[in-house]
Amino acid sequence: MTTSDRKTLLAAKAFNRRTVLKSGAAASAVGFTAKATGPFVRDAHAAELELRVLMWANYNVESTVTAFEQQHGVRFAPTYFDGNSEAFNKMKAGGTQDFDLVQADGHWPRTYHKQGLTQIVDPAKVPNLANAYPACVPPKYTLDQVEGGTDWVAIPNCWGGYGVTINTSMVDAADAESIEVLYNEKYKGHIITSARFEENIAETGILVADRMGTRDAARPDGKPFNPYVLTDEELEECKTWLIKQKGLLLTRYVEYDMVDRLMISGQAWMSPEWGITFRRLLAMHRNGELDWQARHVLKPTEGGLGWIDNWMISSGVEDAEKREICYAWINNFLSDENMLKVLREEGTSSVIDIRKHLTEIEIEDFLLNETEQISGLYMFDQPSSPEKWERVWSEVEAA
Amino acid sequence: MAAPRRLFYRSETRFLLLGLPGVMFVVFFLLFPIVSVIVFSFWRTESYEIYADWNLDNYRTVLFEGTYLTFLWRSIVTAVVVTAACLVYAWPVAYFIAKYGGRYRLLLVLALAAPFFTGAVLRLSALQAIMGPIGVINMALGMFGLPAVEFLMFNKFASGIGIAYLYLPFMVTAIYLSLLNFNFQLLNVAKVNGARPWRAFLTVTWPLNWIGTAIGITLVFIPCLAESLTPTFLGGPSGKLYGSVLGLQFDQTGTWALGSAMGVLLFAVCCVVIAVMWWTIDLRRTGFTGAGR
Repeated sequence: MTTSDRKTLLAAKAFNRRTVLKSGAAASAVGFTAKATGPFVRDAHAAELELRVLMWANYNVESTVTAFEQQHGVRFAPTYFDGNSEAFNKMKAGGTQDFDLVQADGHWPRTYHKQGLTQIVDPAKVPNLANAYPACVPPKYTLDQVEGGTDWVAIPNCWGGYGVTINTSMVDAADAESIEVLYNEKYKGHIITSARFEENIAETGILVADRMGTRDAARPDGKPFNPYVLTDEELEECKTWLIKQKGLLLTRYVEYDMVDRLMISGQAWMSPEWGITFRRLLAMHRNGELDWQARHVLKPTEGGLGWIDNWMISSGVEDAEKREICYAWINNFLSDENMLKVLREEGTSSVIDIRKHLTEIEIEDFLLNETEQISGLYMFDQPSSPEKWERVWSEVEAA
Repeated sequence: MAAPRRLFYRSETRFLLLGLPGVMFVVFFLLFPIVSVIVFSFWRTESYEIYADWNLDNYRTVLFEGTYLTFLWRSIVTAVVVTAACLVYAWPVAYFIAKYGGRYRLLLVLALAAPFFTGAVLRLSALQAIMGPIGVINMALGMFGLPAVEFLMFNKFASGIGIAYLYLPFMVTAIYLSLLNFNFQLLNVAKVNGARPWRAFLTVTWPLNWIGTAIGITLVFIPCLAESLTPTFLGGPSGKLYGSVLGLQFDQTGTWALGSAMGVLLFAVCCVVIAVMWWTIDLRRTGFTGAGR
């Protein structure tokens, strides 16, 4: 046996299961001791800030998020919701510790702030807000400020209505002017509505208050009519209308794609929606892919629902660095570049005036010369009594 | 070094070490949530706030106002129909795989899980694409000049198909696993003794595989009772089930206390179902063990 062979044999003997386990244990122990007693070295992944956002899914523009992450060294962690009540519920159930930013529309920002879920925001830290339409910011639009005060509780980003999109080849123009079109026997089996309980009841509430003559009368709370603050009699009447409507519905949609599919196929002739499907239908018609013209009735004769979406900073954000990142995100979101993407890719109107970047057709489709209409719409709000509204909705669903 | 090793091999220690993960799982993921739900069910919610005012109002609402019992009744009927449909469909499939699947048996059973390769929403969208107003079925009918069928979408029937599609693999797998332990030679014995195929099935195959069937029934029936996503997508305006309305309490309306009472009622119904199924199983006739019940 040569010296070389002996070395090989010794090495082989030394390299068995036991030595491997022993060496591994020793290495682990050394590593653990070094970690425990040595200087603290922050893990690169742990050092990365995370911006936890509770938001509407359609505002997650991938290219904007990627650029923001790279520029600020943060990780964007979105969680989506489908309705204001759902997001509010999440925030109430410990969400202030889980989310840094949250979105809401209409009256909701005030409710969030009153409940201590969000904090006062400084619009001066969002320079891009300077280009907002006057109709979307104080003094014309004050729902983003505390009631009766001047402190801001939210920063607006997009606006729209919850009008009724109509297939003009199937629905009479005169019928389309009223919310009652959604309860018209003539269109049985071709009406779809959202599955959200609040907007179904609120929209019916506008119609009911109009028919009962209570809309313009003195309200029990002394405030102007708000379809989210209905009397027991109005709620009872809403239930009757909604039960009647059930027999006329094709379905209630839970995703926007469903509205697109049903409207494009011609199965559905009308749907209350956020105008997103309407713009797709318009584009298809213009491209010759659809032989009928769509129409969006933003404000029916009885009145319509509208919204201005906002960003709010959670009350759980106490760290100054995190707060600055929140402002950076909001400002970045309101940049012309991102607002263009939101408008073109997601089909939502911006509160920032970006008309100089748009074509005449786009300005028309997105009603950007008609932003003053916002003040004529009833803004989304929290139901005055979720318990009563739940009961009405469950009874409608069970009927 | 010897002492700790002895400690490890002591049967009590081993019992504790092996049992602890299971016990922790049951305590943290079953008992704690159930106790929380039971406690909440006696409280009160108002405008998204929960108040610890102990009362029975939620149970009074759920049990005596009729609305929620309507949903529960709809869910029970749906679960019975879907489970029965799955049972009828699954038995021949499982039997075929167990008896004639040969070396592809495992592969065939795994193939049943194919629908689970995608998310639930995608699966439901696919079903819409097949059964919907402009789906494959109606398009095919249109090509032959036949009118479109409307009963396949946005109603209870469509919802039932969607739920059955979702849970059928559980039923097939449970019956298949039972049949793996079944001695098919017993059928020849029955045949030699003059039993016709149906008689042999009813007196030999069915009772000896009842445990698999019972597990399959339980695995399909109970999730059906709580199903919410499928009826929301496919059930149309009148297809809402108990699970959908239960979800509404927590997701949207913030009426957690009422939702908790609904959850407790659902849990009670599930316990009854499991107790009934357990009562029907006689382990001495399963082929799995010689032990008594």
